[in-house]
Amino acid sequence: MIQLFHVSKYYDRRPALSDINLQIEKGEFVLLMGPSGAGKTTLLKLLFGAERPDDGQILVQNRNVARLRPSDIPYLRRTMGIVFQDFRLLPKKNVFENVALPLMVQGASTFETRRKVAEALKAVGIDHKKDHRPATLSAGEQQRVCIARAIVNSPIILLADEPTGNLDPHLASEIIESFKVINARGTTIMVATHNPQVMAQANRRVLMLEQGKLIADPKAGL
Amino acid sequence: MRRLAYLVKEAMTNIRLNRTTTLVAVASTAFTLACFGVFLLLYLNLRGVVSSLQDDIKVVVYLHDGLSAQGLSDLQQRLRSEREVAALSYVSKEQALADFREQFPSESHLLQGLGENPLPASFVVTLSPRFRSSEAVKQWVKRLTTVPGVGQVQYSRDWIENLATLVGFIELGAIAVGGILSAASVTIIASTIRLTLYARQNEIEILRMVGATGAFIKVPFLLEGAVLGAVGGLLSLAILRGGFDLFKLQLGPTGRFLGIESWLNFFPGHVSLWIIMAGLALGFTGSLVSLIQFGRASS
Ligand SMILES: Nc1ncnc2c1ncn2[C@@H]1O[C@H](COP(=O)(O)OP(=O)(O)O)[C@@H](O)[C@H]1O
Ligand SMILES: [Mg+2]
Repeated sequence: MIQLFHVSKYYDRRPALSDINLQIEKGEFVLLMGPSGAGKTTLLKLLFGAERPDDGQILVQNRNVARLRPSDIPYLRRTMGIVFQDFRLLPKKNVFENVALPLMVQGASTFETRRKVAEALKAVGIDHKKDHRPATLSAGEQQRVCIARAIVNSPIILLADEPTGNLDPHLASEIIESFKVINARGTTIMVATHNPQVMAQANRRVLMLEQGKLIADPKAGL
Repeated sequence: MRRLAYLVKEAMTNIRLNRTTTLVAVASTAFTLACFGVFLLLYLNLRGVVSSLQDDIKVVVYLHDGLSAQGLSDLQQRLRSEREVAALSYVSKEQALADFREQFPSESHLLQGLGENPLPASFVVTLSPRFRSSEAVKQWVKRLTTVPGVGQVQYSRDWIENLATLVGFIELGAIAVGGILSAASVTIIASTIRLTLYARQNEIEILRMVGATGAFIKVPFLLEGAVLGAVGGLLSLAILRGGFDLFKLQLGPTGRFLGIESWLNFFPGHVSLWIIMAGLALGFTGSLVSLIQFGRASS
């Protein structure tokens, strides 16, 4: 599903990632851990084509992301859901419209959009707030809207960057539970976090990054 | 459908987002096109006058007195076969004299003392439309004077030629003014769009993350530019129409007396449409420019 071969990424000649080798199977739930600045966000960005590696190859669903043309990147992203720490919701659109965005940019029909948005909102338990603007929601609710938007298109892969970063432990645990449910339906999930609570609760394969190096991966015997 | 509605709505949001700069952009486009339009009006109207005058260009070929009947008919044959000649009419010496007497009755005594009729016979040639340019006429007339039996050749060229030159200058002026002002208005529209682009940078980023194509993201901004431009074009037409009517009013009875009024015409419908389209194109180009710059800056 996701494969990295000798991947390196530099910012101003300083390595943010160096020589990463990694393999993630379909349906896995993987945690990407490590202190701030370890390169977690950078790794996720490489996976959805927001950055390009300076070295190595990246295969996502057998597509070579490192070689993808810019015009193909939108189509890669349509197979993925992305959850951000800072939610990134459109402030002037209501919850329904925000969640519908990935469908809308693909030109989905009104009928299909209604059905899928309702489903996604229900999956994260926020369907009663569909007419609200993001600003009127709590942080936990906003994060759930963000997750609904990420799963509305039935993505093959869900990438989440510090999804609990702005949440208290109770809300964080709710979010982890949602991910587990989504994963149980077959979506491959990769969550980047430096929150040990997430690690303890998720109880899944953990990849450890430190200063851009992969220092622990049970599958690779690290 | 939903997607189209979204794109149009976004464009409208863009326009509302910074009203002042939008107004400036529309006004500058209107100004550009109005300036260009003044030249265009002048040009089209004068060109109309020139071509109606050129229709009247007649070349008078005077004949030597001693020409025999056979020589005359040969010459007539020959002239008829020239590509430049559309129509030909013969004016005999007697006819010329009669015409002269009729046109200048008080001067006819001048001819009295001369005994013999001093006026030459002539052919009056109407030129075919293809050869009405002054250069072509000049060439042909030069050639004609060397034909045996032909005396002087006369045609009313100078002031038509001057007018044609003037029209040429106006054409150049229109192109120059149009070019410079268009560049200015593209720049102004581009900076207007740039403002919206930066104001909406976060939204653009979000659209990218959820898999929107570049085209999808760009459409609202291109639409915004095109709408601004087209509204500017419309406004310029209003300005021009106002100015045109005012000018006609100023001309008043004098204009009517001189018959100028009937020559003055506003743009025909299709030219008006072209002006609006030009505004639209300017606006579109403006947003394209800013999108390209923005794309470079954000990647
Ligand atoms: N756009 C960037 N420009 C320059 N340096 C960057 C950029 N993004 C990340 N970095 C650097 O790369 C390293 C890894 O960053 P990041 O992937 O954000 O770490 P994490 O998400 O694990 O906190 C850090 O040293 C960071 O300063
Ligand atoms: Mg990070």
